[in-house]
Amino acid sequence: MKIKFGLISCDSHGQPDRDAFTKRMSAAKWGDRIPQVVAASGRDGEQVDVWSVNGRLVDSYPFGGGVVNCPAVMGDPTRRTHPRRWEEVPKTVYDPAERLKALDEDGVDGEVLYPNNPVSGHQFPGDADFELDCVRAYNDAIAEYRQVSDRYVPLAIIPYRSPIETIVAEVADARKKGVGGVVMLAEPSLNIPGVPRTNDPFWEPLWAACQDLELPISWHGSGGLAGQFSPPKWDGHSRVAARLAAVAGSSAAETELIPNLLLSGRLERYPRLKWVFAETGVGWMNYVLESCDHEWERRQLWKEGFETRPSEVLRRQVFIDFWYYERAAIETRDLIGIDNMMWESDYPHVSSSYPKSWESARLEGVPEAEQHKLRYQNAMRLYAF
Amino acid sequence: MQIRYGLISADDHVHEHPDVWTSRLPASRWGDRIPHLETTADGTEHWVVDAQRWPLSRVAAAGAAMEDRTRELQRWSQAPAAAYDPRERLNAMDQDGVDRTVLYPTLAGVGGQIFGRIPDAELELACVQAYNDWLIEEWASTSDRFVPLCLAPIASIETTTSEIERAVGRGHRGVVFPAIPMELRDVPHLCDAYWDPLWATCAHLGVPICLHAGASTAIQPAADERLSPKVAEAYRAITRPASQLPVWAHFLMSGILLRHPHLRVVFAESSLGWAAFALEHLDYQFNEIRPEGFDLLPSEMFHRQCYLTSWYDQAGIRTRHVLGVDNILWSTNFPLTTSSWPDTKDFIARSFQGVLQAERDQILWKNAARLFGLDQG
Repeated sequence: MKIKFGLISCDSHGQPDRDAFTKRMSAAKWGDRIPQVVAASGRDGEQVDVWSVNGRLVDSYPFGGGVVNCPAVMGDPTRRTHPRRWEEVPKTVYDPAERLKALDEDGVDGEVLYPNNPVSGHQFPGDADFELDCVRAYNDAIAEYRQVSDRYVPLAIIPYRSPIETIVAEVADARKKGVGGVVMLAEPSLNIPGVPRTNDPFWEPLWAACQDLELPISWHGSGGLAGQFSPPKWDGHSRVAARLAAVAGSSAAETELIPNLLLSGRLERYPRLKWVFAETGVGWMNYVLESCDHEWERRQLWKEGFETRPSEVLRRQVFIDFWYYERAAIETRDLIGIDNMMWESDYPHVSSSYPKSWESARLEGVPEAEQHKLRYQNAMRLYAF
Repeated sequence: MQIRYGLISADDHVHEHPDVWTSRLPASRWGDRIPHLETTADGTEHWVVDAQRWPLSRVAAAGAAMEDRTRELQRWSQAPAAAYDPRERLNAMDQDGVDRTVLYPTLAGVGGQIFGRIPDAELELACVQAYNDWLIEEWASTSDRFVPLCLAPIASIETTTSEIERAVGRGHRGVVFPAIPMELRDVPHLCDAYWDPLWATCAHLGVPICLHAGASTAIQPAADERLSPKVAEAYRAITRPASQLPVWAHFLMSGILLRHPHLRVVFAESSLGWAAFALEHLDYQFNEIRPEGFDLLPSEMFHRQCYLTSWYDQAGIRTRHVLGVDNILWSTNFPLTTSSWPDTKDFIARSFQGVLQAERDQILWKNAARLFGLDQG
């Protein structure tokens, strides 16, 4: 890809077309369980379109709803409008060729594509066979973006209920088709019964394969752990106050799980494997770096096999995304790692900087050479743009 | 108040000598239910509270003062004197350049969470009162360099407030309170109006409520069983301060600070690394949603009423203008393994490079002096 604008979004959401699954999965085998858009009755009785997966309606998003999560492109400045019918979804959301126009309009060179509807919680439900077929169809569909343009780096998802050989084979296959990374749950054992913990040797072939195939592994948001490590909900909170507390509090998930990534020894065992934390903001990384270094010093963890200073290992392999102007993080970018921070637009979600991404990526007071790193050069180094 | 070294450590821990409770609670009434140490046949020591057993090695913590700081004490006889003896503690403070120390518990729970589980409300109260009396009689009476914080019972809101009034009357300067009391016994959520008399009492008495990290392990991810014991301990130490983040977010959005504008809240052993981010993030989300009923931004409530404590942070000090120079307290975290002791001067020199003396003084002792009422003679 030739850089024209100097801005790459490291977290956007790629939408498969409505027939992405029906045209790839066997109707004879799966029938109505195939993910598809179906007509349903909305809360006000009006007919709406809803994704159905495994024969169940996917309750859109906890805030807003709609058949596709794309409030940034619905022409409503308050971003409260969601498409209730598939016909209302702008093509710039699900058609890779059309979507390039939105990128041009916004002055964005390329995008890393995380999932959108109907992928819920980075996974598909059901039994192992069904899950695997859904994942294959999704990876195949999202890889098409790359076949249309090298301005896209789509990310694969994985079939959690499959044997590790199958997971690895699927990732390798998706890589051939054009995906440039893998997005997974931060600790799938906490979301899906029976799945081994990520510290378990079970997963080693996946880490090895991703390192060999140069596929960074991403967690998105809290990696499926929002609210897991929070005080119990209080029913006296208003809905929005509860959401604010939950959203802010859920940053504890990555803050508490990256140290496990480090202390499990995975980073040292796979020193060329890169890990990405998307839609997390970046400032909390100061905590991870300093607390790991501090305890490493105070507890002399080099005697426990951790020879390299944790911050050095983390800066070598961990990358994080920001989207709004974080003053504290920008001021301490030398501590966080100027080579580890990447910009994202979150297109087409509610927080998206679209169509004024250059306002969110202004980076006042940052020297030009560093601005380039944050806006696109770090992304170019990490991904196959 | 005399300041020699220029540091009031706002978060340290006393290590309760095992006779704190056996010498104060009548054996005739409580017998074996009195908190005490027990040695089992295989020689391991257990801390026993109301017939509940914890291995001592899981609840005792004094690594920094041990000869080898990577080893935790397994038996009470290994406990370093500076952990439990006030005179030895003063020596340790002199060695490290600490003027005064704000004292949190250890065996009673670093966040004061142990006794709240006792089903018998009278025994809970007796245990709490014994601790509160002991800290005044053995520590605060020895030297005014000790700043005592009391525990509070939670079985009923009336005893919560009356014990706080009694303890503050005896000289306590703040209240250690478990952040998630509802996981200890059947009481309402901390955000519920049920607790309003607690906040009102603290605000009225002018003492801060102190929520210390680690009061709940349920909100920390469990260390994986494949980690070696020392690495697992490091993992718990790393995640503990970060577990203050969701507590902090829920507290800020609870409305308690708006209803009690004179209440002061300390998030102890929070460290600072996550906080500038969390403040900006919460403000950003708040501005996007604009919830009803809040006439202050989260950062405004925080700056008006909250404090964080640090003992090693560098980025946090660099971002002090986002956090608020008035809202940061320094500490040594003695005698936990994570403590900066006995290298606190080096830690401070590293963290405060290029910081003006006035701001250093504020963070290192003036904020604590004002908050705990130590500057009033």
